[in-house]
Amino acid sequence: MTSWVTKHSEEGSLFDSRKFTDWATVKEALIGRRVDAVFILAPMAMQLRADGVPIKIVYLGHRDGTAIVVGKDAPIENFGDLKGKRIAIPSRFANQNILMHRMMREWNMPFDSMKLLEVPPPEHPAALESGSIDGYIVGEPFAALSEMKGTGRVLYHTKDIWPNFISCVLVVREELIEEDRELVQELVDGIAKSGKWLDESHANRMEAAEITAANYYFQPRELLEYVLSNPPDRVKYTQLGPLKKDFDEIMELAFEIGVLSRRVEFEEYVDTSFVRPLEDIDWNMEHLPEATIQEVAQ
Amino acid sequence: MMFLPIAVILLSILALAKLSWRRQLMAPIFIAAIMIAVWQLMVTYVMSETNPTPGQTFGALVDIFTSDQLWKHSAASLYRVTWGFVLAGLFGIPLGLYVGWNTRGFEALNPIIQGLRPISPIAWIPFAILWFGIGDGAGVFLIFYASFFPITVGTMAAVRNISLVHQRSAQNFGLSGLELFRRVVLPASLPQIITSLRIALGVAWLVIVAAEMVGMDSGLGYLINDARNMGKRYDLVAATMILIGMIGIVLDFLVRKLENFDEVRWGYVNR
Repeated sequence: MTSWVTKHSEEGSLFDSRKFTDWATVKEALIGRRVDAVFILAPMAMQLRADGVPIKIVYLGHRDGTAIVVGKDAPIENFGDLKGKRIAIPSRFANQNILMHRMMREWNMPFDSMKLLEVPPPEHPAALESGSIDGYIVGEPFAALSEMKGTGRVLYHTKDIWPNFISCVLVVREELIEEDRELVQELVDGIAKSGKWLDESHANRMEAAEITAANYYFQPRELLEYVLSNPPDRVKYTQLGPLKKDFDEIMELAFEIGVLSRRVEFEEYVDTSFVRPLEDIDWNMEHLPEATIQEVAQ
Repeated sequence: MMFLPIAVILLSILALAKLSWRRQLMAPIFIAAIMIAVWQLMVTYVMSETNPTPGQTFGALVDIFTSDQLWKHSAASLYRVTWGFVLAGLFGIPLGLYVGWNTRGFEALNPIIQGLRPISPIAWIPFAILWFGIGDGAGVFLIFYASFFPITVGTMAAVRNISLVHQRSAQNFGLSGLELFRRVVLPASLPQIITSLRIALGVAWLVIVAAEMVGMDSGLGYLINDARNMGKRYDLVAATMILIGMIGIVLDFLVRKLENFDEVRWGYVNR
């Protein structure tokens, strides 16, 4: 949702965005130098660095926008009720998995007190509907989908259990930073600007839903409108600079539960030099060319 | 250059084996050694450092063999493949026999069978989850789907290819109904049915990587999917691929044994 504005920058660079249907492929495209920048699961980016792949996290795509969903009429009122249940996670390398473990610790539950199953996000609503899982945790729009269909309800939004939750991060190859800092800066500024614009008003968000539904994704407009407004802070597009304390917490827990093969220092895998105050960015939407239908965007 | 010691070990085993074995194994091992050498050279000089070398892959293979992973994942995959394959046989063989023998049945069902056959099991994943849930059920269904059509179509073709001599002599002896099926149709088509089972088992084993994409936490297909997500562990991916290939050879060897039964040879020679 951050990409429709970012594909054109005022400097005139055209960012060609592509949609992939699973993370492994995104990661492989990055490692194989087929793409220069990707949005990828945060712990997955850390593990890439742990394996010596020269990449850096430079920005976030959004904050929050993840929810724990349970069956519409299931007798589940709080996290404790998930004990012994089957819960789908997008991947064990997703921060959603880390969040489930963080919650279990908070509720003094051992890490094996529920069965976490790796299921591709688009299959989560169907799996819940078929009754093969009791709940799932996933990024939007797959939580809203069950809500709108009336098959599931949100038990928790991340904003209420781990505020400013980080799901996907913007990762670039270090070579790109060395070769073309300006281009990376342009990309980060573009995301920052579109994020600021999205968080400015309800009307902007509805406009974004309309444009996105028409041109990218094949997602219904109603679903996007729902995700962007119900409640208004369901997903946030500001404060997208990566912070050490957030990432250290994710990293430590990821290492503890065996998702990371070794500890990695924040400075190893994050480059915060592209984050700048919104006031410093030339904020002028008028410079943007007309959005045109191009490749499907992630 | 890890492959050199391996080649030496294999060659020394060979030297100890009988002459005939040596002759049969020499050529494949020679070709394999060349392929491994090309692999090593490609990684070193042509491809990126991301590609695992034969040595790294062998290391990962050793890791799998020495941990409890080998049995856990192989057993889980074999369990799902066995169920999917056996169910495909239980449904596919009778359907193939019926459709093959009954012309009207053939006309009615063949177009549908041919239409469903080319759909990849991967496309069925969402429905597999809806109908059979996350885990073994969906995986077994996908393997069933993949192996059902080779068995059905193979059996169908086998029955339709029964020679006129057999059909006419059966008629002359006044055989009909179940007796006809038991005494003539089934035995005459058995060799081809076995061949189709062999193909189907190959296909069943072929689709485990796709079948184990649905909420699994075990199996060789899962191991590949998991390793792909895991930073830069393509050595583990390649090692699991080799393992899948090795188990595939064993499975094929076992099905071929079926072809040696007397009953199966009826189609070729008179008893």
